Amino acid sequence: MAEVKLGGQAAAELSEAAQGELMEQCEEQFAQLEKLQNEMILCEPECCENPQEQAVNRLMATEAELKQWLTVEPELLISNSEVLLQAGKEEMLKLCSELEMVVSCHEAKRDKLRETKELEQKWLEEKKQALIAANDHVERLQTEKGKLSEQSILQDTKAKIQKMKVYHERLMEALGDVLEKHVPPPQNESAANRKKKNITQELHKDLISLNEILELLMNKVLNTPHDPYVTVDDTFWPPYTEMLLRYGIAVRHQGNNFKIRLETFC
Amino acid sequence: MSLLKPFSKLPGLNSANILLVESEEQFQQSLADALVEETTFTVNVRLAKSLPLPVENEESRPRIDLVVFIINLTSELSLQSAEASLKCLDPGYFLGKVCFMVTNARSAAAPVERLDVARKLAASLHCPLLFAEDQTPDGVTNATERLLTILKVAAGLVPMATALYLSNLTRSTVPPDIEQPSFN
Repeated sequence: MAEVKLGGQAAAELSEAAQGELMEQCEEQFAQLEKLQNEMILCEPECCENPQEQAVNRLMATEAELKQWLTVEPELLISNSEVLLQAGKEEMLKLCSELEMVVSCHEAKRDKLRETKELEQKWLEEKKQALIAANDHVERLQTEKGKLSEQSILQDTKAKIQKMKVYHERLMEALGDVLEKHVPPPQNESAANRKKKNITQELHKDLISLNEILELLMNKVLNTPHDPYVTVDDTFWPPYTEMLLRYGIAVRHQGNNFKIRLETFC
Repeated sequence: MSLLKPFSKLPGLNSANILLVESEEQFQQSLADALVEETTFTVNVRLAKSLPLPVENEESRPRIDLVVFIINLTSELSLQSAEASLKCLDPGYFLGKVCFMVTNARSAAAPVERLDVARKLAASLHCPLLFAEDQTPDGVTNATERLLTILKVAAGLVPMATALYLSNLTRSTVPPDIEQPSFN
């Protein structure tokens, strides 16, 4: 069948002699086909429903086919060179187009792999850098560990604590200076304001300074972080309380107006 | 009952004939439409609900090169119909000119046992078992391509290859543990 088909296609562009020769061969092949067909129809195979028998059938058929392939000898399609040239050309063209498809497919695949490779390399580079950094860190830590003794760590920590203490001292002093300069204790204020003396006299008796208010607030925050509120009583001069609240240094309790706490500065 | 025979008629030139057997007639039409679009050779598609084929068309019917049984796994009837139709085929067809195409294998409505039955059926007849997706155009295209590959060989359009040769390589086999219930 394949030969007949091939011949029929090629005949379109062939000379008459070649075409005639081809046709003749086609006829011959077809006649042989018909003969075989008739033979096949004549020898009716016995029907078999049994799968076992079918397997045997199959084995026999496969063996027969194998034998045929083993004995078959390659033979020339046709001796006419013109036909052979034509057929060869067609096969070549077909093969070429198929190979082109393979090439484009592989190129696409290659490009994709290349992309993947670049990505992977980038990733590898990043990982390498991370490794180098980690190694550096380890090395540094080890050299430090070698250098450091218990004594020196203690000294270091002591120096740090000292530094912190000094800094704290300075801050407190600065705060004290500022308060002394700009926010004098309420007694002075009221003393200066003599007109209202008779009205406010009683209240002023045990008023505390702003320093003390702040100290109270700070201590409360540090000592009992879970309950940082301080109750506002008579000793708090109301303008100071008002100032602390207005400038966001202190916050009022949400449920109780008489309680305030230090704003969380962090 | 007339048996359908693989070599009862002369083959046509540069053409291949395929018979699609499906009891529910759902998938075969779209599959047929896709099959006839093949350009390198003429594909004649014949549709049937079941075998045997009616006697009145006997004369005009070409030689069938490949018989495809389409089995919808969600329907028991589909499988039974295919099993019944198999008896109307000449044993010569089972030398590589029959294949089974299963649809809806992934559907939750398809019991696993039915797939096992279909696999055993295909394996006992030494036929290839193809799985197809009939809902999407992509699935139909894939199924068509696979059928055409087999059809080309079965119709003798591929030099140096025969249906028997191909089916020896592609036939379905039953995994050895199919009989035993799995415990995991």
